[in-house]
Amino acid sequence: MLKKLIFILSVCSLSVPAFDQMIYEFDDTLQEKRFYSLISEIRCPKCTSGSIASSDVPVSRDLKNKVYELIISGSSDQEIKAYVSKRFGDFSNYRPALAGANYFLWFGPLIFFALMLTVFFYKRGT
Amino acid sequence: MNLIFRFLIIIVPILILVFFTKVLLIDEDNKLINFESKIFPEFEMRDLNGNQVSAQSLSGIKILNVWASWCITCLVEHPFLSQLSEKNIEIVGLNYKDTDSKAIAWLQKHGNPYIFSIYDPRGDLAFDLGVTGAPETFLIFDNEIIAHVQGEINQQKWESIFLPLINNNQDQS
Repeated sequence: MLKKLIFILSVCSLSVPAFDQMIYEFDDTLQEKRFYSLISEIRCPKCTSGSIASSDVPVSRDLKNKVYELIISGSSDQEIKAYVSKRFGDFSNYRPALAGANYFLWFGPLIFFALMLTVFFYKRGT
Repeated sequence: MNLIFRFLIIIVPILILVFFTKVLLIDEDNKLINFESKIFPEFEMRDLNGNQVSAQSLSGIKILNVWASWCITCLVEHPFLSQLSEKNIEIVGLNYKDTDSKAIAWLQKHGNPYIFSIYDPRGDLAFDLGVTGAPETFLIFDNEIIAHVQGEINQQKWESIFLPLINNNQDQS
């Protein structure tokens, strides 16, 4: 009996690191959906490339916890993104806002494509 | 007309190639020259000696260095920080995700270049500063952050990033 108990206790102690991880509990499924879509849109500041959802470095864990806290406290997606980019820079956002120099980022490829088509048809015409 | 197109077909790819080569060759550290300055976040915390510190404790020209006793690179840059403090440069420590007993023991063992160290065991202030890990170093001028270096601070980064800004701000005031 005692042997069994010791065995069970020692197995439990092996998984102690698992308790480190915060467990996210949401009020409804919408909050949960928002959480998972937000963490996949925020870039891990410590990684070469990848969202905080795909990263387990301490700063990503902090960011995920913060996003969770903000969602529970009722912040909107926009507010949360603004909160993060104020601290970690615009670089942290995987979906850059449609403003300023970012217009070039969003529409640059389209303009380039249109230019190519123009040249192509112009050449065929001549 | 045909001639112009032929000319463009050769020139445009060359220009694109030059552009991307240039982008790739930009030194990571020199990117910080375009650093957008921001106001130091408000805080009320304790330092490692138990004294109250706040954003008002950071007036004048100050270096803020994020460190921890568990951080190996902090030990690498430590001699350089000691050199700076010997030259009467005021360095404030931000003890990051550490325990105070370990931090104090670390300072006793390796020497203390900091005028004081803010004790931030959960990394709350560090999060507000956009710290991604230790070590990181900030240049603060009258509560305004004007430079931020991630990773080790050394002679080369000091001379290329911090020193010109310090000289600049001293001239202005």
